[in-house]
Amino acid sequence: AGEAEPRRAQSRRRSRAMEEFHPHNDEMTFNAEEAHNIVKECIEGILSKVDYNHNKVNQWTATIVEQSLTHLVKLGKTYKYIVTCAVMQKSGAGLHTASSCFWDTTTDGTCTVRWENRTMNCIVNVFAIAVVL
Amino acid sequence: MAEPVGRPSHENSYSLRPAFQHKFRSSAVKECIHAILKENLANVQYNPEETPELTRFLSETIKDGLKAEGFHRYKMVVQVVIGEQRGEGVNMAARCFWDADTDSYAQDVFMNDSLFCVVAAFGCFYY
Repeated sequence: AGEAEPRRAQSRRRSRAMEEFHPHNDEMTFNAEEAHNIVKECIEGILSKVDYNHNKVNQWTATIVEQSLTHLVKLGKTYKYIVTCAVMQKSGAGLHTASSCFWDTTTDGTCTVRWENRTMNCIVNVFAIAVVL
Repeated sequence: MAEPVGRPSHENSYSLRPAFQHKFRSSAVKECIHAILKENLANVQYNPEETPELTRFLSETIKDGLKAEGFHRYKMVVQVVIGEQRGEGVNMAARCFWDADTDSYAQDVFMNDSLFCVVAAFGCFYY
């Protein structure tokens, strides 16, 4: 009797640890609002206090995209992500973007964040594609 | 002793990885995109009323063209950006979190005197 107890306790601990890693696939939809907030924070962290600078814009777009991707991955969901960012100087010119996707509309989704300041416009698109295990 | 009557054995035919011919090859996709852009944008002027419709039309056309190329088992995202050419600076970046073995992307840029057009097509394998 004394030996049985610790073994039972051990298996309970192991099964609880396993439970944490099982993704809940039954209701997996893309949470666009969460992604929107994440991306908005990333953009504001990098572009809020600067003006358009041709030498640095490369670095900015790369940083925005990388940070957004890192935060999205940290959500821990089983998704593949594609994040694109376009930064444009404000000069009165027009810019149009459109995207067309061939995927599973029940599980996959997209989110677009538009941001601007005095000297530039920034558009970030997030596409999330579910991985069905 | 009689042989047990069993079902004929079948080979597993569900592939977990794309064969090389069915991989989302950047070069083939880029050519497809380039042809569509040349055909649709050759002498087009930037026009604030028509360009939104043109952008949407291009993204749908490119997506249909890629489907026709035969990338079965691939989920695809096509993004088209059209802007007016006024000498302003634009920078576009993309990062992806995916399976680098099976997934890939292709891009193309088209420019004429009054507009520029950037197309990025991404393909993710559906396991």
